[in-house]
Amino acid sequence: MSEAKKTPRPLPRPDIYMKTRPFWEAAKQHKLILQFCKDTNQYQWFPRPVSIYSGKRNLEWREASGKGTLYSWTNTLVPWPGHEDRVPYICALVDLEEGVRILVNLINSDASKLRDGLPVKLSWEKLSEEFNVPVFEPA
Amino acid sequence: MTRRDIAIVGYGETKVELRSGRSSYDLACEVFEQILNSTGIAKSEIDGICVSETMSETSNPFWPVYMAEMMGLVPAWTQVNGLGGASTIAGISRAASAIRDGQCTTVLVLASDAQSSYPPTEQGAQRWEFQYPTGLRGPVGVFGLLSQRYRMQYGLKDEALAKLAVTQRNHALMNPNACSKLKTPITEQDYLNSKYVSEPLRMLDSVMICDGANGVLVTSAENAKRLGLKKAVYPTGYGEITNFNGDKAISDITETGFSVAGPKALKQAGLTPKDIKLFTPYDDFLIAILIQLEQIGFCGRGEGSDFILKTDMTYKGTLPLNTSGGQISAGQPGLAGGGLNLVEAVRQLFAEAGERQVENVTNAMVTGIGVIPYARNWGVSNVMILEK
Repeated sequence: MSEAKKTPRPLPRPDIYMKTRPFWEAAKQHKLILQFCKDTNQYQWFPRPVSIYSGKRNLEWREASGKGTLYSWTNTLVPWPGHEDRVPYICALVDLEEGVRILVNLINSDASKLRDGLPVKLSWEKLSEEFNVPVFEPA
Repeated sequence: MTRRDIAIVGYGETKVELRSGRSSYDLACEVFEQILNSTGIAKSEIDGICVSETMSETSNPFWPVYMAEMMGLVPAWTQVNGLGGASTIAGISRAASAIRDGQCTTVLVLASDAQSSYPPTEQGAQRWEFQYPTGLRGPVGVFGLLSQRYRMQYGLKDEALAKLAVTQRNHALMNPNACSKLKTPITEQDYLNSKYVSEPLRMLDSVMICDGANGVLVTSAENAKRLGLKKAVYPTGYGEITNFNGDKAISDITETGFSVAGPKALKQAGLTPKDIKLFTPYDDFLIAILIQLEQIGFCGRGEGSDFILKTDMTYKGTLPLNTSGGQISAGQPGLAGGGLNLVEAVRQLFAEAGERQVENVTNAMVTGIGVIPYARNWGVSNVMILEK
């Protein structure tokens, strides 16, 4: 990549499409919280203004166990702006025990040795003073 | 449908260019003029306009109205479709409804975008919060995830994708409107040697973003007769699904809306996949073609690789595929990409495809894909069947 004008890695932009501040506050404490639909007893991810199951707003935040399995992944060789320093990096779809699928970075992993259903566990990456993001690694 | 009361009576298309420096308006007006010239109708006959959303003009909330103003049109019915690459055939379907409902008589269905020349508008909602920080930004990463999952579930033969790449490139070589940068022959080995962008996705799996415009003129069959228009093709089947499986937290990402939209369009037209004479699928990535073949029903789930390897998909073959090169080998004119494959289908059915003309082509299946959602496959799947 050229040395010209480096774009910083994008930080999450909270509270724009809905109030997500509780998620980021919990993340500071290394807690992954998910929305839980009290009408249907199901979790959802990413956060939404309504339940995708009922269309109602009877939702609460609950902490996830942090256990999951690998559903798919891609090893990124050509980075997006702001991610140049990280290549190669793995973006992955992880199915959490709570029945939701989350898009995350997979760390401490050899891309050539990954497999379907690999057990993975929650870890955290500090992006700034304000933001920790959930990442996963082989369990 | 199975009705033949709505007709496509003309088409137009610019050359696909990389960083043309031309605006979406300029490109669109070239298509508009081509359609007026080829049909010979007066522009006052056009009383409807249906445009696709663009990357280059999306920040303009009045895009279709500006377009009408640019062309000097006075439409009684105006529509904008924000379905990405699925917008154009969706536009034909909506125009057909508006014509049947008596809101207008003759509609210009248009797509134009200059994404490689003008900075694209950004998408919002959850993407900035939960997607971009991971470094998974666009279609390339999402199709990397989709390809990897498909490989694990069904196995994917690289030589099948290589065959698709070469077939479409050979078609693009015969298309004067294909992007000149892409008009070089490739071999299957070139495909296999092309570098990985987002494993297991290769450079030659993907489109190149360019500028361009395309469009068709839609009217009632009755009005086409009144205007003395000789050429017509009829949309006889249509299916569309948005946010497939969007009410589930976990679903099979290799299963798409085509599993619903494909059979629906075929049923309306009273056809089966075996009856299709020309297949012009939306192709932002090669694997999207393979998945569509399976889900529309040309072959079973997981059989896409073998189907491609045993089927001659050249313009002389049993199931001709994207005979203008598709977007992968002609270039993707931004969100006008879905119109590229549509216009080729109409051109073939009008028997105006020159050296790449398919013999005895009586129908064509055109598809659209639009929008990349969070952690699934794609947002919109639609299928249209056109018949002579």
